[in-house]
Amino acid sequence: MLISLQWLREFVPYTGTVQALADRLTMQGLEVEAILDPFESISAIVVGRVLECDAHPDSDHLHVCSVDVGAGEALQIVCGAPNVAKGQLVPVARIGAVMPDGMQIKKGKLRGVASHGMICSERELGLSEDHSGIMVLPDSLTPGVLLVDALGLEREVLEVSITPNRADCLSVLGIAREAALGFGLPLSMPKLNLIEDVSAGHAAEAVRLEIADPELCPVYRARVLTGASIKPSPAWMRHRLLAVGQRPINNIVDVTNYILMELGQPLHSFDRGLLKGGVIRVAPATPDMKGGMAITTLDGQERKLLASDLLIWDAERPVALAGVMGGANSSISDASTEVVLECAIFRPGTIRKTARRLALPSEASYRFERGVDQVGSVFALERAAQLMAETSGARVMAGVAVAEPKPWVDREQIFRIAKCNALLGLELSPEFCRVTLTGLGCHVDDSDPVCWRVASPPHRLDLEREVDLFEECGRVHGLDRIPAVLPKISKSLDSAQTSDTVFGFLQALKGWAAGAGLREAINYSFVGADDLDRLNLPEEGRIRIANPLSEDQNTLRTEIAPGLLNNVRHNLSQGNGSLRLFEIAKAFREDAASDTGACENSRLGILVHGPRHAQEWPWEQGEADYLDVKGLVENLLTHLRLGPAGFVLDPGHPYLEPCVRVELAGKNGVALIGRIGRVQPKIADAYHARKDVWLADLDADLLRELSRAVKPAFVSLPKFPPVRRDVTIICPADLRAEQVEAAIRELKPKNLESLVLVAVYAPEDKADAKPERNLTFRLTYRHADRTLVDKEVDKEHGKVLAGLPQKLPVRI
Amino acid sequence: MLKSFLEGLDGLTLECEARRGQACSLKDLEALRVEFLGRKGKLAAAMGALAQMGPEDKPAAGKKANEVKNALGSLLESRQAELDAAATQDALSGFDPSMPGRRPAAGSLHPITLAMQEICEVLTGLGFEVVSGPEVENDWHNFEALNMPPDHPARDMQDTLYVSDRVLLRTHTSPLQVRTMLSRKPPVAVIAPGKVYRRDSDLTHTPMFHQIEGLLVDRNVSMGDLRGTLTAFVRQLFGANTNVRFRPSFFPFTEPSAEVDISCVMCGGAGHIGNEPCRVCKKTGWVEILGCGMVDPNVYRAVGYDPEAVTGFAFGLGVERVAMLKYGIGDLRMFFENDVRFLEQFS
Repeated sequence: MLISLQWLREFVPYTGTVQALADRLTMQGLEVEAILDPFESISAIVVGRVLECDAHPDSDHLHVCSVDVGAGEALQIVCGAPNVAKGQLVPVARIGAVMPDGMQIKKGKLRGVASHGMICSERELGLSEDHSGIMVLPDSLTPGVLLVDALGLEREVLEVSITPNRADCLSVLGIAREAALGFGLPLSMPKLNLIEDVSAGHAAEAVRLEIADPELCPVYRARVLTGASIKPSPAWMRHRLLAVGQRPINNIVDVTNYILMELGQPLHSFDRGLLKGGVIRVAPATPDMKGGMAITTLDGQERKLLASDLLIWDAERPVALAGVMGGANSSISDASTEVVLECAIFRPGTIRKTARRLALPSEASYRFERGVDQVGSVFALERAAQLMAETSGARVMAGVAVAEPKPWVDREQIFRIAKCNALLGLELSPEFCRVTLTGLGCHVDDSDPVCWRVASPPHRLDLEREVDLFEECGRVHGLDRIPAVLPKISKSLDSAQTSDTVFGFLQALKGWAAGAGLREAINYSFVGADDLDRLNLPEEGRIRIANPLSEDQNTLRTEIAPGLLNNVRHNLSQGNGSLRLFEIAKAFREDAASDTGACENSRLGILVHGPRHAQEWPWEQGEADYLDVKGLVENLLTHLRLGPAGFVLDPGHPYLEPCVRVELAGKNGVALIGRIGRVQPKIADAYHARKDVWLADLDADLLRELSRAVKPAFVSLPKFPPVRRDVTIICPADLRAEQVEAAIRELKPKNLESLVLVAVYAPEDKADAKPERNLTFRLTYRHADRTLVDKEVDKEHGKVLAGLPQKLPVRI
Repeated sequence: MLKSFLEGLDGLTLECEARRGQACSLKDLEALRVEFLGRKGKLAAAMGALAQMGPEDKPAAGKKANEVKNALGSLLESRQAELDAAATQDALSGFDPSMPGRRPAAGSLHPITLAMQEICEVLTGLGFEVVSGPEVENDWHNFEALNMPPDHPARDMQDTLYVSDRVLLRTHTSPLQVRTMLSRKPPVAVIAPGKVYRRDSDLTHTPMFHQIEGLLVDRNVSMGDLRGTLTAFVRQLFGANTNVRFRPSFFPFTEPSAEVDISCVMCGGAGHIGNEPCRVCKKTGWVEILGCGMVDPNVYRAVGYDPEAVTGFAFGLGVERVAMLKYGIGDLRMFFENDVRFLEQFS
């Protein structure tokens, strides 16, 4: 909301600086975001007098002028405008001045004659669309004075951010009230001087009003003017509208905009000559069964209507979208002479619905949505009619056509000062509260000193409860002056389990991952459906965004992988080749059983790609592979005191190949913790990854549940020494290590404490033989109560050596 | 006899002195030791004569023999020290302390996580408990219960991403206020960190960002308590000299509502650094950091609390904003590109 300081001063005699006003308003809850100079772009233009004006020797339309700009010698300026003449006062852009369109005035020659500046048209100055000739200024001005000063243009405009509750501040009047309150100044309204002309007729006879539903339109008033002549508004009004960002149109429309900005009351003017039947009817749209009904608004767009849209009708057809925009069929044109001036109140929710559906927010709808002062609207109509008469020469018919099926009723709240002080943490005096509330326009009845009765003013639609009055007292006192204390709350110290939160677990998981040398990524929760399709993920169960910002953000991710893969693409494009990333975030799937329709599952994604070690020497070089990512998963499970896990091939995964299921045996059978795998090279290629991309996708919620059930338990350290025996098994290359391990365990060697794979050797393939590899296992034997002797270990180990080749196609 | 005995011993000393330099290794030196001091060595052989000496000569001979033994011993020892020193020298000759260490991969937490953890630590230290909830929310929890009925203009403050008419991506962490109060009786003191979503994307907005919501409800909680809590909070987060300013504002679910500014972390509230205007606070000396207020009675009604019996406050802040201020990150989009060169700065 732009507020002109000059305009504001017509309502309140504020004499301080614009900055002091801005600071005060900000601390009263009306945040001033900027202080603007609306005519900064023409601040270098000066007033000049045309001393001489001769025809250009070499042109039939150019003039060579000598212009007095106050200081120094008169400037020679070549001017092409048809209306330039000796003796005129004109706006002059001197050498070096920058015009609103960005053009800088330079010394130049026009057809051989030097020109030291430019005489400007209104359009060149951004003051109007008029480019028929140069702007001719009133003769009372002095050459050399800055144009902005000579015309009294507004130099100080506040840009105020108005919160949705403060509809009353969407006007000069509203901000003036706040300034008056803040600085203890009186507020004065403009003097009304509306002259009615009975001979022109009576408004109530000229227009008959009908309101279908009082809830949708509690009041509709209209003034009728006759004999208007449509032309540009006077300069002061145009300049003032320009200063607050409104484009002047003509004297009738400008007055409606002027009153909107000044008093916050949206008005609409109809060409009465185009209204049929002398009737104005306020009623919802009536689309037929096929939904066919439309209105062409005054911007020329055809708008399809629903039964929820409120319209203004004449005797035959809709003529305006109530509170949103007028219709093209009844709008003021240059030929109009008869005007019906509408001043009404519409139901906020209805206006908002229509404006939003049609994506047609207007200054009017913005105010109606937030609520307009039903009582104050009377004054707005009178002042608008007066200004219209003054600027258009129209005669105002006697009286007002009024339909007010739902008159304004004062709202009264109780106000308990003790409760106010308790809530704010202040000790405000009754005197302060009374002065504050009265200053806001409230009527205060304090006959009961404990519980006052307070009627709030009609322009403060937001003051409808006791707590709203508390806020006002706090706001006017200054929230920043409330003493800070630390709360003494009766919260129990017995907060067992409170440290065991989902958030805490996920943070701990992040701590593990960072410690394990992974870098945390955070990606958007939504991806494009394409991102999921690329991974061959099912359509079923996806949650789509109904109104996405873009197609690449239209679906909630059903897996953690898409975001991490996008990070691969970004990093590779930046030359970051060695990637060790993790992300903890939710995956979303449809779930009819959930109250939000979504199942949200926290996932831990781990991605490794490229060189295993970002550092080269002294590490042995190699590309990250399955064992790297599996090792991370095993390390995590150990960290969470879980496992050992089963790692089971899972063929046919949509985007991983190979894909390995990570399983944990639990009380309720085998739990699927997640999957590890390599992104299929064809898919990885789409992310520009030429090397293998290894991923782990684990269920963080499940990990939390399982790990919470496990508590560390101490086992006595062994007292007697172990005996270690290694055995190397030559086996077919496709025999899995876990099969050998299982076979050894099945042989049940006594006193076997542990069994680990310590070496793998793959001899070169012989052409005629099946590929083989050598697996060396270390078996550790130990007895809890005594030292084992070699003989008994030999016996047990012998069972393994002898038994294995019988169970598996292996040699020892 | 005594004389030749003594001369012989002196000769041993001289010989050992002459030859010890030739011992170039510990092995050579050991051989030399055995030759002179061994059980069958030269000293032992010379000592053999001692037995045949008369009692008058024995003390002098014995004394001399001991002296020579010690002398030989120290000659060999000093050579040993020389050799040890040389050996150490050799061993260190290939040692280069400037070689790069074998560094395990370094991991890192995302700056948003770092900021969030710090905020949560401060607040849990003040006694708040962390709660979590769904990111896909229904309209009632996200808006209606928070005093934002359908078609209320306050909904304009938060452009919403919808899944369906009644289901949306939560636009703030405030639904956790509702969920918490529905499931617990007062007193309640919780914080809710998490992801939130708005239909907004430009230089200063991303469609997903992170918030932390705080809620404290009890009997007789005042706005002074809110000021005290938030002042303590921002001072722990940004330093003890941080100034705090409360500006009246509007949020549908609090009344009164305020926005909290802190003195600019870049210029210390001066509005300029040297002669340069401060870009972080745009010369104002203040930066907006959070929104807060006293919980609106309508919210209590929605969750079944008695607004006459309890009062409380709520506050919310953006984690990205805190991270940007704390770490001097200028570009919001960096957060979600996950460029490794960005991430590793937070190791």
